[in-house]
Amino acid sequence: MTPQDAHPISSRGSGAEQIPTRMPTANRPQNAGKTVNGDTSRLESVAKVTGAAKYGRDMQAPGMVWVRGIRCPWGNARLIGHDADAAKAVPGVVDVVVTGDTGEYNGDAVGYLLAENKLALSRGLRALRARWERLPCRTGIDAREAVLSVSDKAENALLFADHVLEAEYSTPVQTHSALETHGMMIDHQGDAAVVYASTQGTFAVADEIASFLSLPRNKFEVRCEHVGGGFGAKFQIGKEGAFAGNVASSLKRPVYSFCDRKEEHLDTGNRPSALVKVRVGFSKDGTVLGGQIGVWGGVGVATRGGDAAIPSGRYEFGVIERSMTNVSFNGGAPRAMRAPGHPQGAFAEELMLDEIATIAGVDPLELRIRLDKDETKARQAMYRLGAEMIGWKDRQPTGSQSGVVRRGFGVGSTSWRALRGPCDIEIAVHRDGSAELRTGTQDIGTGQRTACAVLAAERLSIPLELVSVAIGSSRLPNGPASGGSVTSPSSAPAVLAAAADAERQLMEIVAQQIGGAGTDYRLRNGKIVRGEEAVMGWNELCRRLPSESLVGRGTWDGRGSPYFQKGNSNGVQFVEVEVDSETGVVQVKRVIAFQACGRIICRKTAESQIIGGVIQGISYALFEDKLLDRQTGAMVNPNLEWYRILGANDMPTIEPVLWMDAEQTGVRGLGEPPVVPTAGAVAAAVFNAVGTPVRSLPIRPDRVLAAVEAAAVAGVAKGGAS
Amino acid sequence: MNPFALLQADSVAEASAAAKDVRLSVLKAGGMDLLDLMKEGIAEPTQLVNLRTVRDPALRTIEAGRIGALATLADIARSDAVRASAPVIAKCAASAATPQVRNVATAGGNLLQRPRCWYFRNEQFNCLKKGGSTCYAVDGENRYHAVFGPGPCHIVHPSNLAVALLACDGVVSLAGGERATLPIAKLFHMPDRGIRDESNLEPGEVITSIAYSPAPVSGFFVVKERQSFDWPLTMAAVALKLDGRRIASARVCAGAVAPVPWSLPLVEKALQGVALDDEAALRAACAKSIDGAEPMRDNAYKLKLLPVAIRRAIADAAGAKEGQ
Repeated sequence: MTPQDAHPISSRGSGAEQIPTRMPTANRPQNAGKTVNGDTSRLESVAKVTGAAKYGRDMQAPGMVWVRGIRCPWGNARLIGHDADAAKAVPGVVDVVVTGDTGEYNGDAVGYLLAENKLALSRGLRALRARWERLPCRTGIDAREAVLSVSDKAENALLFADHVLEAEYSTPVQTHSALETHGMMIDHQGDAAVVYASTQGTFAVADEIASFLSLPRNKFEVRCEHVGGGFGAKFQIGKEGAFAGNVASSLKRPVYSFCDRKEEHLDTGNRPSALVKVRVGFSKDGTVLGGQIGVWGGVGVATRGGDAAIPSGRYEFGVIERSMTNVSFNGGAPRAMRAPGHPQGAFAEELMLDEIATIAGVDPLELRIRLDKDETKARQAMYRLGAEMIGWKDRQPTGSQSGVVRRGFGVGSTSWRALRGPCDIEIAVHRDGSAELRTGTQDIGTGQRTACAVLAAERLSIPLELVSVAIGSSRLPNGPASGGSVTSPSSAPAVLAAAADAERQLMEIVAQQIGGAGTDYRLRNGKIVRGEEAVMGWNELCRRLPSESLVGRGTWDGRGSPYFQKGNSNGVQFVEVEVDSETGVVQVKRVIAFQACGRIICRKTAESQIIGGVIQGISYALFEDKLLDRQTGAMVNPNLEWYRILGANDMPTIEPVLWMDAEQTGVRGLGEPPVVPTAGAVAAAVFNAVGTPVRSLPIRPDRVLAAVEAAAVAGVAKGGAS
Repeated sequence: MNPFALLQADSVAEASAAAKDVRLSVLKAGGMDLLDLMKEGIAEPTQLVNLRTVRDPALRTIEAGRIGALATLADIARSDAVRASAPVIAKCAASAATPQVRNVATAGGNLLQRPRCWYFRNEQFNCLKKGGSTCYAVDGENRYHAVFGPGPCHIVHPSNLAVALLACDGVVSLAGGERATLPIAKLFHMPDRGIRDESNLEPGEVITSIAYSPAPVSGFFVVKERQSFDWPLTMAAVALKLDGRRIASARVCAGAVAPVPWSLPLVEKALQGVALDDEAALRAACAKSIDGAEPMRDNAYKLKLLPVAIRRAIADAAGAKEGQ
């Protein structure tokens, strides 16, 4: 493959000029017209690509002790012996702590070992010679045990149906696979400590680690200046954090405890597997009358958290009866993962819709337009515009193609309820004219730091270069954990309030200097103006500050701000695939991702969120699968070699389209909604190309080949009958 | 990873002697595979003998018909001499791994890399290759395992380059032992002829170069699950001799289907005299590739892929011919 063959990620759809980007002025908050800042790159981008940015994992301290868990190698096993003395005899091994003897899944920890260096750590674990007795284990949901019982109400709905679809859809366990693994380095200095954590919740870590450190909150700080991804798995400190906390407080020494890639796959959470069984009835034109949907969620050793969001509520499905069962097995417990429950539900729902459309002989896009309940009508517009952009008119009827390479089109939808939480922000303005925004929340790679700086600069009406951001510290003002897509929408109102407070104080200084009241003046384009008249420059004002700095404070309790946008963020994604019917290889060629998201603070980072969601969605559709050996329960692919993540050659052209509804003027989060529909749309596109649905993720070549074969057999049977 | 001694060899003779004399001594070229093995605790050498410090330019020279053992995959991929004399070899080298790996991995190291079987590579599975008594793939997760061979171990050979060289009747030159040369066809053995290792090299034997027969009409096709940085599900390499638009003779070899690079003499025979545009005859010949295959529970799909890969490799070779 030559560079010319590589698919660019386009930042603008071909139909971008048709998209409404202007907001009405009637309810536009102050400065709204300028806050679409398209050209700003992440403030830390140079530091990240040069390696200057230090992650928690990069932190080391003199005298640091290393920790690693003693982990069960099998799905279910009992520790029947180990040689702690031999492990302790290894030079550099500090201690061995064994706290249990039962491992209920591969990666389950029964204690930990600590050593002066990394080499001693691995040699110590080897010398420990942990001997495990393997016990029978269960490695996932057994589809035969999952019986769909159809209620009377559902049966009644089916009575009037022209067709009934019975199908089983399944999705694998997906791991978060963040680039930076879980863990922390605690620089413990006896009576004080700094905790360098890889987290998506600075203050959550502070709360949790406090009980281990036995230090008052004013004696330790949690820091996470740069975080290499979280995706929902990094709210809690985990076992690796608990080990570090225990060791740091007992030894009063710096401790390093980060998972390796294997531990990361095994024991830091996952998106649970799901089995969805449907029995739904529909009329001749595809109108869904109702039926029964059963969800079984594979939650590992947990007992809850396995639900899949089907029906999503986006489509009119008539009378749907629903059951949900959590299925425990010998695997790691799930944690929240980017739109928990939704991609697995959307996979089943979107593919089911395409199957219904095909049986009824109607266009699946037309069916969605008919069934979609979107009250804002945003998705209705997206369906029509997207169809033009992707060339839906070129779509061949499902099952009609017989060439080697077959082209397929799919579509899926998303909606996400906007959430938020309380947030405090400080903005310090210094005598030299620079400003520092302070927020304790974290930037897990999403661009939060940049968004805060852009908003502050806009509101203060000063160049972005003057604003720096201190982020990711429990010593900084309180901010939200990054979950539920809340970070931007929670921060924005507080940033604007802090900037407004700084302006108010600054204008009072102006009034003291040159007369009048503070309210006579305001900031505009780097100057202080009264009416249209410039009375002072920004730098001159700052030089006149009575002390080194002035601090504006903004607090938002999460209620009633024009800068937060209530309601649902709607989206639609169109997917075009090519399927090689002889090899079963699927290549996604193009994705158009519409996403409503309220007011955009920084176009580049917003588009980046959408592109990232689509990439993760395709990866889920085609590759990712935490595979447990059916005999032993051990994960056979605990690496990034066989646990495949979408790579450069697999990347389609992705065209994010930021959709601004006319009435949306506040800020919303974008982390989760774009990952919801992708896998379902890919599956629908593959079905369109091949003619038989692949109802299990990942859509591997062997599964596609089986579908191609089934379609050929069905085609022959059909031909024979007619 | 355990501490080890590192010997920076000045000559092949020194390297060979060191490898022979010291127990658990391992020869290291690019070190790509060795690093993985050591990190997972599969290889625990007490001494690493670095071949890359040997300055002899012959070890790195590439010419039409011969490749130095220390030439990198990137060198091979961009060599005009290889691309003209045996395009299949250059293409296989170019398709392996990632640019970063290809810049470091060597021809010799690529041939002698250990299998990627996930039971072999995961420390806790004491499989047959590690002295255990079970091949976990038999009743376990075997979708990427071999469809040919009697066992008892069901690895697939990981080197695409070896398959291409086999199709070009490659012969390795050896130093440090009794033999001066060994055909690629005899470089590897099936698991029933020795399960702990894959090659027939004796301790201290060092590959210095690989000779191959010119194969200007040659090509390959690889099926990968992921198109970036992935191992083949199945691949095929062919070298053709043409008589006009007819195949006078063919060498047809497959990868990722057997514990060794896999020759397909039945297909070679069936291809003799077949016209390149006789689609039906080509299909019939390629269909013979799966004769004798014994798939496991989850890898029968490879039997669908293999004839396709060969057919496309023939098309690739014919295309290479037309490109000249």
